[in-house]
Amino acid sequence: MADAVLPRVWMMRALYLGLGGVLVFVHLLPLDMMPPGWAGPNIFLALTFAWAVRRPDYVPLLLVALVALGMDLLLQRPPGLWAAITVLGLETLRNRAASLRDLTFAAEWAAVSSTLVVMTLAYRFILTILMVDQAPLGLSLMQLVATLLAYPLVALLSHALFGVRKRAPGDLDTVTGRA
Amino acid sequence: MAKDRGQSEDYSGPLKRLLLGVVLLCLLGLFLLWRIDSPRVERFRAQVVDRVVPSFDWAMAPVTGAVNIVRDFQSYQRMYQQNQDLRRELQQMKAWKEAALQLEQENARLLDLNNVQLDPRLTYVTGVVMADSGSPFRQSVLINVGSRDGIMDGWAAMDGLGLVGRISGVGRNTARVILLTDTSSRIPVTLQPSGQRALIIGDNSIAPLVDFIETPDQVRPGDRVLTSGDGGVFPAGLLVGQLAEDPGGRMRVRIAADYERLEFLRVLRSYATEEIETPGDLISPSSLPDAQPLDPAIAAEASNG
Repeated sequence: MADAVLPRVWMMRALYLGLGGVLVFVHLLPLDMMPPGWAGPNIFLALTFAWAVRRPDYVPLLLVALVALGMDLLLQRPPGLWAAITVLGLETLRNRAASLRDLTFAAEWAAVSSTLVVMTLAYRFILTILMVDQAPLGLSLMQLVATLLAYPLVALLSHALFGVRKRAPGDLDTVTGRA
Repeated sequence: MAKDRGQSEDYSGPLKRLLLGVVLLCLLGLFLLWRIDSPRVERFRAQVVDRVVPSFDWAMAPVTGAVNIVRDFQSYQRMYQQNQDLRRELQQMKAWKEAALQLEQENARLLDLNNVQLDPRLTYVTGVVMADSGSPFRQSVLINVGSRDGIMDGWAAMDGLGLVGRISGVGRNTARVILLTDTSSRIPVTLQPSGQRALIIGDNSIAPLVDFIETPDQVRPGDRVLTSGDGGVFPAGLLVGQLAEDPGGRMRVRIAADYERLEFLRVLRSYATEEIETPGDLISPSSLPDAQPLDPAIAAEASNG
């Protein structure tokens, strides 16, 4: 039984990596060179958190750190900082995942929202202290709100398409996987 | 379940915390290193981009093409109206063409009178836009020429008409062009016809701010904006655009380059900035008159006596 379980976890991790690659690819497509008046959601973050709350073992720390660092480098952000903040947010949510398991989606959404808000504020705060050029505040806030709005959709899609669900007591891979 | 969780934390908890600490330390260390020694880390970034993005290229071109086809298809629906617009524009263009021809002849005559030689070193390399910055907060594009083609940091990139941006970050096969609209872009310019010096400051909008105008009274909307070549940043006299005033009363530049369709970029070779690599020497004659070497025998006698 363990043979059937191990590949499933690794498959989901590979899928996560693949989704990250697709997101970078879509971001890099040279479609529009005009400075946008709006900012879309950070789907990668929503995806990471949605998975972290449901199945923390699908998003191991090292994998997330590597993907986030890669995104920092490719998407022209200050390298490392946003990745570090993402990892911190991930661990916060991972620690709360056990208690969130029995609560409603609204509670989960609230937890993710508060984490995201703190992350965005911390990011801008650190950049301001170190006097790094940063994007207009409006765009950052817009991205934050868009990410929060996109979160339920991302969670729903991961649930429906990829089968990322909360562990139920009777699940095969949770009970026998440890045995 | 609860017991299970407790057990797994018993032995993997401290290990995980250690891993988290190490990862955070590495990431924040990299960030601090970037803040302290930006060029080195940016070079590393350019190498990563140089490695990763060309491997996406096979998929990027068709996807971009497909999206553009869909967009063009949408524009077919407004075909009639577009046709009318184009006819009207063509009519205006004919008038301009006439004016341009006359100016060209006049220019040729004047050049002939002056016996002017245009700078033969102002040649260019043309590159294709491969990718954009991928974030709404940064305005830059990646082009498919790099150090292999002799591209260097700081060179100007233009489309057919006007300045687009500045090379910043060169990999072997790719180079990044920071667009004029990026928040980190600062370009020294001259405003014609008044000849005032100013600075173009990108602020993530399509019309960058023009600031530090010496005497703002002497400029007015519609003035031409050219690079000034101050600080050796660019060759002087590249067209940037036209001055315009925004509703808040600040001067902005309407960029001449067509940012909606950046496909091919010209990178101007400019070797104008000479680098000083050694500290200055003392100014002295190359050979001193009394500098013949002493005869060893005479030197020995002198020390005996």
